[in-house]
Amino acid sequence: MNPIKFLFTVAALMFVASPAVHAEEAYLNYKTYCMQCHGMHGKGDGVNVPAMNILPRDHSDNKYMMKRTNTDIYKAIKFGGPAINKSVRMPPWGDTFTDQEITELVGHIRSLCCEKELVRGVNFK
Amino acid sequence: MKRFLLFIVFAAFVSPALVSAGESGAEILKARCASCHDLKGPAPATIRQLWKRDAPDLFYAGNKFRREWLVAWLQKPVRIRPAGVNYLRTINSTPTHQEKTKKGRKYDVLWGAVLKPLKHVTLSKQDAGAVADALMDLKPHTALVAGVTLDTSKKVSLDAGEVIFDKVYGCTSCHQIEPGYGGYTGAELYTAGKRLQPAFMLSYIKRPKNWDPKIWMPNLHVSPDDLQKITNYLILLSKEDFSESN
Ligand code: HEC
Ligand code: HEC
Ligand code: HEC
Repeated sequence: MNPIKFLFTVAALMFVASPAVHAEEAYLNYKTYCMQCHGMHGKGDGVNVPAMNILPRDHSDNKYMMKRTNTDIYKAIKFGGPAINKSVRMPPWGDTFTDQEITELVGHIRSLCCEKELVRGVNFK
Repeated sequence: MKRFLLFIVFAAFVSPALVSAGESGAEILKARCASCHDLKGPAPATIRQLWKRDAPDLFYAGNKFRREWLVAWLQKPVRIRPAGVNYLRTINSTPTHQEKTKKGRKYDVLWGAVLKPLKHVTLSKQDAGAVADALMDLKPHTALVAGVTLDTSKKVSLDAGEVIFDKVYGCTSCHQIEPGYGGYTGAELYTAGKRLQPAFMLSYIKRPKNWDPKIWMPNLHVSPDDLQKITNYLILLSKEDFSESN
């Protein structure tokens, strides 16, 4: 392979591979930190549910989640429920994740609720 | 002759146990505990490493535990984490096994060995004392508790403490404050006052990440005043007798 072709391949691979890597990291983060309350399927059915008087949001609830902007979701994750007038039962995760990781988590949640809309290229702001 | 041979085989089998009576705490730790517990550190720095952890880290035991508790627990170990050391391994989320809340909402359930009493090495009184001494020597995180002291003037009643713990910060989502009352994915806390040094509790609650960088307890930004009150509450709580309900 000539060097230029090689460079092209590397560049192409980086372009293709990195979103996938990010998606996987976001999934791992969601699994480790969020599933304890939001459930293994993100349906708000985590193992801690019996201890909670306010139930965790069902992230696959398309009708509700379509009404939320990406900014709402980002703020809820970083600063906790009270930042969007919701319960303290949703804790703040700003000290656990970088801003980049939170943005990726927003993307992951969108894939749980709004797959079809994502494919259509809906802008969630 | 045959009997004599049998005796020799028997003696060879039994003797290591006899010798162990004189082992030092550090030797016991190395020989019987290091296969599960990390005695050297550092704590897992990535999620993948975190998931490989089979038992709680003990490398900062001297900064964390109360010696009396260690001596007693090592002779009679019982479960501390209702969902085990790694909740992702102990949950069943298949819809047919999920349980329902009163309102009919389904939720994931604990599953398997974690529902049975803890199986753990049990030590004799003498060994427990020696091991506790060796564990109390492990203090790599002294900087994290330096200058951290409990303010006993910030006392609260059990009721007022529970309001802060449950309503203000939502800690009961993950922690039990009575056997069977509270969430599963954190350690039980109705025994925390007996188990843990006050300075450790203050420092851990303030920023769990400092002790365990990838742990799934968030920093809840507890105010300095509430931090003192919560810790005083946990100490008061563990003076309650929960043995009846156990
Ligand atoms: C201690 C349990 C708990 C954990 C852990 C938790 N959540 Fe939540 N979450 C909740 C509860 C309860 C609500 C519902 C709050 C309400 O409706 O007032 C919620 C709501 C939300 C919402 C919905 C906000 C809205 O617009 O209505 C988002 C988004 C969310 N959580 C994301 C996450 C993410 C991402 C994680 C992991 C980093 C996470 N949560 C971890 C309990 C939890
Ligand atoms: C087979 C694996 C295994 C071995 C070997 C083992 N432990 Fe453990 N140990 C565990 C597990 C799992 C827990 C967590 C129990 C819980 O939280 O319910 C634990 C908990 C502990 C705790 C409480 C820690 C905490 O943070 O709450 C101490 C102290 C402890 N072990 C000491 C020892 C000592 C001392 C030895 C050796 C004599 C030992 N262990 C051997 C698996 C093991
Ligand atoms: C999202 C779940 C979650 C929430 C909410 C939470 N914790 Fe934790 N907590 C954990 C986990 C997980 C651990 C680590 C357990 C371990 O070492 O295995 C922990 C550990 C602790 C410890 C140390 C216990 C020990 O035995 O090592 C204390 C003390 C504590 N939490 C207090 C609190 C307080 C106070 C609050 C509320 C301000 C709170 N936690 C909120 C999950 C949570």
